[in-house]
Amino acid sequence: MKYLFPRQPWDRALVAILVALFTGFCILTPGFYDGFHGTLAITEEFLPFGFVALGLSVVILTGGIDLSVGSISGLAAVIMAILIKSYGLNTWLAVLLAVGAGGGLGWLNGQIITRLRVEPLIATLSTNFIYSSIAIALAGASPPYGFGHAFGELGTGAIAGWLPVQLVIFIVMAIGFSGLITRTGYGRRLVMIGYNRDAAHYAGVSVASVERRAYCISGVMAAFAGIVLASYYDAVRADMGDILLLTSITMVVLGGISIFGGEGGILGVTLAVMILGVLRQGMLIAGFSDMVTTMLIGAILLSSIAIKNLFSSRGFDLGSIIRRLSSLRPPERMASKS
Amino acid sequence: MSRTPGLLAATGIDKRFGANSVLRNVSLSLAPGEVHTLMGENGAGKSTLFRILAGIHQPDAGQINLDGAALDLRNPSAAYGHGIYLVPQEPALLKELSVAENMFLGMLPTRGWFPSRIDWKTIRGQAQDSLSALGLDVDVRDDAKHLSIAQQQLVECAKALLRGCRIILFDEPTSPLTGREVGILFAIMRRLRAQGCTLGFISHRMDEVSEISDRVSVLRDGAVTDEVDRGGFDRARLVRAMVGREVIFDRRRVRREAEGEPVLSVRGLAHAPVFSGVDFDVRPGEILGFSGLIGSGRTEIAEAVCGLREKSAGSVTLAGQDISTSSIGDIIEAGLVYVPEDRARHGVILPMSIRDNATAGQIGRLQGKSGILNRGREIAIATDTMRRYQVRARGIDQPVGQLSGGNQQKVVFGKWMSTNPKVAILDEPTRGVDVGAKDEIYRLIEELSAQGMAIVVISSELEELIVLCDRVIAIYGGKIAAELKGADVTAARVGAAFLGAEAH
Repeated sequence: MKYLFPRQPWDRALVAILVALFTGFCILTPGFYDGFHGTLAITEEFLPFGFVALGLSVVILTGGIDLSVGSISGLAAVIMAILIKSYGLNTWLAVLLAVGAGGGLGWLNGQIITRLRVEPLIATLSTNFIYSSIAIALAGASPPYGFGHAFGELGTGAIAGWLPVQLVIFIVMAIGFSGLITRTGYGRRLVMIGYNRDAAHYAGVSVASVERRAYCISGVMAAFAGIVLASYYDAVRADMGDILLLTSITMVVLGGISIFGGEGGILGVTLAVMILGVLRQGMLIAGFSDMVTTMLIGAILLSSIAIKNLFSSRGFDLGSIIRRLSSLRPPERMASKS
Repeated sequence: MSRTPGLLAATGIDKRFGANSVLRNVSLSLAPGEVHTLMGENGAGKSTLFRILAGIHQPDAGQINLDGAALDLRNPSAAYGHGIYLVPQEPALLKELSVAENMFLGMLPTRGWFPSRIDWKTIRGQAQDSLSALGLDVDVRDDAKHLSIAQQQLVECAKALLRGCRIILFDEPTSPLTGREVGILFAIMRRLRAQGCTLGFISHRMDEVSEISDRVSVLRDGAVTDEVDRGGFDRARLVRAMVGREVIFDRRRVRREAEGEPVLSVRGLAHAPVFSGVDFDVRPGEILGFSGLIGSGRTEIAEAVCGLREKSAGSVTLAGQDISTSSIGDIIEAGLVYVPEDRARHGVILPMSIRDNATAGQIGRLQGKSGILNRGREIAIATDTMRRYQVRARGIDQPVGQLSGGNQQKVVFGKWMSTNPKVAILDEPTRGVDVGAKDEIYRLIEELSAQGMAIVVISSELEELIVLCDRVIAIYGGKIAAELKGADVTAARVGAAFLGAEAH
């Protein structure tokens, strides 16, 4: 039983925030709480962000970043739509090919970063523009729509009428990613690189190949998110993925994965996915505009990085917050090293 | 400038980092115009004590007085204000700035009132003057990254003097220096002492300590165990105070020459202009010494052999297998490991646990076809490493960053030795390690070689090469300058090889 409750202080704080946020919306926002089934159904609105966040986690653990996730998901969805509509391919085969294409685009990111030695930030910023332009060009003027009932089940279906398909897939994937990071050789190498790239290299880790695979994974997950969005709306737009990036990065960072790499885990990311999802939906139902929500999420991203930096050496508890706020001296960074 | 500083006295200092008590009721006084040396094993608390005196750390209890007046050293600039300056273990110059900019960092003089301009003329003049006063001949407009570590230390000295500091603390300055550079540093320390400066000094090397010190304080486990004045220095007494037991390390055993086929053969290894024409063999059970100055190319050669660095020509054969173009992972798998010199940067991953670090060299072997790590074997390897190398820690899940330097070094050792290599290249295996741990590491190396492992020891310490090695290769300017064997490996001969190399 004790393994069910998070042991990391950061994760515990996230649980508290999630509970507080959910309760708050239930009480203050009429129409937010719509029974147990209704609550589960809300997850369909935000889990595409979660799929992207899982893949991004892997990249951020290496100390990198992938800004092209939004355009990859848009492009993948467009590719899928074209394969179905123009070439008459079987829907699920088209889905498979589109997800594969996402992997390929991520792999290309990895090649640019590791072989051409371009900073991940710049590399994926550039490919983001390239991929999204290709998506717009391919999609043409009229967005494809109508992919059939079976395909729609992916985004909106529910098992036994109440358990959303998306949620099941997300939970399975989250467990899989958690296992990948904590239990496999690949995950160990990933974390080593994130903490200390040089030491990983000296220990015989092929740093470039681990990184390339990380960007590939991120591409696959972004593409999958795009497919789920296509299924949810039963339509495809080239710029569909643009909203994914900010929220997904925030989910990863709020989830406790250090933007500098190495530190953090999937449990925290999963909690952060739920927190930001509830926040987005709650704000929407409460009648706030998307702009306000986006602004708030930007602020959360900024403050979660700042909080992490301030408290990383001291642990995260109320006492240290009070001590920190009451003394205005800069953090004694070296103290823990000697 | 030549006012004499007062008596700096720390009394009853306590300091803890988290659960670790580093200093317990330590008192130390630095009398005006003396060279006061701190000795002690790694983790004894020497650096922490100096850092407290320099305002970098704050003590949990105790006070610091200068000439009887209590000081509040809340940060390094407060310490500068009282004339105290710490020359850190790794000089902290900003590489991309010029020497002069580094020296005046935080106190750049300006000219005019608005817009005030930086007075470069004064800066360059004063910087050049203070460096010449120390006998250092470098252009102050040059980037700091072009300076050797020895020169950087002298720039730190000059920084101290520029800030009017007359109490200068040196945290283990000599460990990265060659013999000649140590001589230069000591000459400068003597001159500063003659001018009335108070100098604090940390070193592990007995001969250096007796050469330069006026007074020695020995720390063990965060407490002062002995204090000796000049004239009373006795090697056995100091070592006993440091380690708490007798240590013997003056021995040189001549073993018979290793026979059999070389397990590692290097031919024509080159990467101009760093090194060229490097040929050598190592046989099973042999300990080969690589001597040479820092910058001679010895580390670069070793890294090129192990696939960590580019080479433009040459072949490397390990047990009959050509590994010249293999990846590092494959080279480790084939049985050749390089134990790096810079522990924190290349050796361990500080935030990760002992378990993760001890197994980091063999992840490939721990994962089955599924890619899932074998947790049982991980634990076995980590537990075995802790036991065999007597790592002092709470358990295998403690982060390595929480261990003392000596214990970290043991984890580094265990990490590579648990891969069961045929050949191990150890780069400065005892750098910054205290006398007791040094002896343990020597014993370990001999044990491994007795089991048939071929070992290459890279070292700039004569004593280490003589005590340990069957054969010594001297490297100068990226080339093999001399080779000594068996009974020829004496202080005189190795020293001569050094000098011969230097005369090239």
